[in-house]
Amino acid sequence: MMATLLALALLAGPGEPLYRRAESAWKQGDYRAANDLFRAAVAAEPQNARYRVRWGRLFLERFQPADARQLFEEALELEPQNAEAHLGLALVAAESFEGAAVELAEKALKLDSRLTEARELLGRLALEDGDFARALAVAPDSEAVRLTVELLADRTPTIPNPGAASYAEAARHFILNRRYEEGVALYRKAIELDPRLWRAHSELGINLMRLGDEAGARRHLELAYSHDYRNPATVNTLRLLDSYSKFDTIQSGNIILKLHKKEAAVLLPYVKAEMERALSTYERKYRFQLERPVQVEMYPDHEDFAVRTLGMPGLGALGVTFGYVVAMDSPSARKPGAYHWGATLWHELSHVFVLAATRHRVPRWFTEGLAVLEETTPSPEWGDRLDPEVISAMQERKLLPVTQLDRGFVRPSYPGQIVVSYFQAGRICEFIQQKWGWEALLKMIEAFAAKKTTAQAMETALGVKPEDFDRRFLEWLDARYGKLVRGFDSWRTGMKALNAAAREKRYDAVLREAPALRDLFPDYVDAGSAYECLAEAWLAQGKPDEAALELERWAKAGGRDPGLLKRLADLHWESGRKKEAAAALERILYIAPAGDEELHRRLGDLKLESGEFNVAIREYQVVLNSNPTDRAGAHFRLARAYHLANRAEEAREHVVLALEAAPGYKPAQKLLLELNK
Amino acid sequence: MKLFVMLLTCLAAARAETHVLVVAGLGGEREYEQRFSTWAGELGKLSGAQVLAGAAASRDGIRSALAQIAKSVTPQDDFVLVLIGHGTFDGVEYRFALPGPDITAIELADWLNRIPAGRQVVVNATSASGACMDVWRAPNRVVVTATKSGNERNATVFARYWVEALRDPAADTDKNETVTVLEAFHYAAEKTKKFYESQKRLATEHPQISDAGGIAGRIYLARFGATEKARTDPAKRALLARREQLEQEIDKLKHEKAAMPLPEYKKRLEALLIELAKTQAEIDR
Repeated sequence: MMATLLALALLAGPGEPLYRRAESAWKQGDYRAANDLFRAAVAAEPQNARYRVRWGRLFLERFQPADARQLFEEALELEPQNAEAHLGLALVAAESFEGAAVELAEKALKLDSRLTEARELLGRLALEDGDFARALAVAPDSEAVRLTVELLADRTPTIPNPGAASYAEAARHFILNRRYEEGVALYRKAIELDPRLWRAHSELGINLMRLGDEAGARRHLELAYSHDYRNPATVNTLRLLDSYSKFDTIQSGNIILKLHKKEAAVLLPYVKAEMERALSTYERKYRFQLERPVQVEMYPDHEDFAVRTLGMPGLGALGVTFGYVVAMDSPSARKPGAYHWGATLWHELSHVFVLAATRHRVPRWFTEGLAVLEETTPSPEWGDRLDPEVISAMQERKLLPVTQLDRGFVRPSYPGQIVVSYFQAGRICEFIQQKWGWEALLKMIEAFAAKKTTAQAMETALGVKPEDFDRRFLEWLDARYGKLVRGFDSWRTGMKALNAAAREKRYDAVLREAPALRDLFPDYVDAGSAYECLAEAWLAQGKPDEAALELERWAKAGGRDPGLLKRLADLHWESGRKKEAAAALERILYIAPAGDEELHRRLGDLKLESGEFNVAIREYQVVLNSNPTDRAGAHFRLARAYHLANRAEEAREHVVLALEAAPGYKPAQKLLLELNK
Repeated sequence: MKLFVMLLTCLAAARAETHVLVVAGLGGEREYEQRFSTWAGELGKLSGAQVLAGAAASRDGIRSALAQIAKSVTPQDDFVLVLIGHGTFDGVEYRFALPGPDITAIELADWLNRIPAGRQVVVNATSASGACMDVWRAPNRVVVTATKSGNERNATVFARYWVEALRDPAADTDKNETVTVLEAFHYAAEKTKKFYESQKRLATEHPQISDAGGIAGRIYLARFGATEKARTDPAKRALLARREQLEQEIDKLKHEKAAMPLPEYKKRLEALLIELAKTQAEIDR
């Protein structure tokens, strides 16, 4: 034995002593020294793949996956069959829910069947996909995997004395399955067993915040941070907690709203009313009473919202629901026209009901599908439009069988698969509603609450097997979109020619070609749509009413560009169709309500004229809350609306405020005298 | 203060004239050419200005127009110059882009100094216009620039809102039916800021104003209502005096607001406002 060690030492290169010291420093928690020593070892022996792999693992542990990936790739260039390097890449991919993780881990295991960590990772990945049998098959000896499977299946653990790390891993899977409260309890158990498990403290803190316990969140996050566990999720969540001083919290009945101070006064009337409408609608539809108030947080800075989704799979691009807490972008987080906050709010609140009604035991595809369907409950104009990416997926037959659809959300295998999965799930729920009725969807909710699988829920509620369902669904989808899918390439060519004709002002060609292109793909409402080209052509030919009709079609198809909606309002207004003009402006309230005094002033004027005084008052109050340049004018308009609504005291208050700002303001003087008669 | 402003207005109404020159510089691209000449044209209509656009907006064209104005204005008059287009700054010198040779800030300063108007307003709504601020600053001259320095080099939108200020009654914040340079500046600056916020774009222009003589709030650019005839009606002199007195009392009360209980302030303010409204109604009768 001694002779072997001696021989190894003699064979070892000049980097070996440095490498050994690096490992030792790492073990002692001296990451900086370990990093320096790994660097020196690699410099001393640039051809040694092992040093790079271990250095990469240090980076991975210290929250720098990009650097880790680079080192693993360098190691593979030196030694393409290095199992540890493949495993490293698999671990990096797994962190960001990349589809390649499974393949890389399998490759690592193939190269070295003794690599327990690769087995463990494959087990974890199978758990993330909801495939318990596979998880147990690939990692039968993993305590964490076995514990997680038992707990997720609501069975009492049979493993004797599981360790803290296993509980923390189980907790992570509960969170991924959106079983937040149980996940939090498991993190607490892990910490009870090992109070120095800082990763568990950090993740517990993040999830307490998701459940609305800010004080508890801060306590655990600060503990992790002060013990040098400073991954981006910990640091950014602490920063976000600090920024909460800039938010107002408004509670009213079963609603809690957290809005940024700079826009709270403008957004509050719209968001509160929409929340009330959605909650009462859902209570009736789902026949379910929520147990406690729902909290909605709206972030004007998308990066703040993004912190709330760190470490979560799926898109989460606009909103995310954690049980009774919803975090979403505020309308000012996005370019005007790119985001419909009303649809997102209805989407997320649907999750609140479905998660609560199933006690969080619902497949991702079903709750997302139902939420997508609910986006159009208030109006068919709402909700996401059919995307060219989705059409391509249909062309290439990339839709997944319903029993595997969750994978499209959690671990996409091609770019854009998450968007495609949202679309598919939404259409599946729509198909069920059309063929079997709303009751069938409620029955599925009941089945999921009773812990049935997708296949079992379908058989119970719809009386069909998943494979039969898939076949019927694809037939239905083809009847609806087949013509577009088959004609999509010619639509693209046609649109290119149409836009060229519009640019060159060949309006006869536009008027001739655009209607067919519009009708083939009516969901296409983005810039340069057939609707827009047609409206422009009609205007050029001196036919504003035809242009208005076209833009009205565009708006009803889901057009959201505030500039075009204002143009539509102008066209209606110029032709005396004031009700339609107001309706066009009202659409903008769900898209870009903040920072546009003119919108609210115009809408207020139209509503005042039509005798809808309370709506006019709301709009003028929003103008006032927007800190307008013309403060006197804003107070005066509000005073006039209150006066017409027979609310004399409020009218008097605002007319005096108008005159305080501008004493010589004649219309306000007249109103004051009238009120004083 | 208010009384002083009113008197000045009366004096100004009796003798002053306002000369306005608007120049739309080189657009470079068709979209900008169109945009600049549209804004300049609108401004011309709104303020009765002489407009130089296209080939007429050359170096010689501007020099000749300014020389002509220098001959016709008197020290009692006001002069307003508005530049719309692209500007550049090389770290030393600002240039206004024109068909043919450009002009520099220093050249323009020289030509402006020859105009004998008692008060001047120079609005440079071009990119990099902030570089002109120090060169043009002078007593009794208000300088407005679209950018805070010569380093803000992207095309600007400030001119669009400057034009809008002259036709939107919302710009008239004190509701005296006129828009002053100061009101127009505040309006256009605020709208520019909101434009970038609403487009989710980093603001690449930050409008500035230099008003060494404190005259920007007293130079009128647009009137919305009919000119007040009562000013020259001897029968209404007493009412005008009463109105001025009430306005002064309101100003005084507003200054004392923090030092008195709010209900008392409101009561006194409302009483004065009612009295002022009645007086104004008498004047307008």
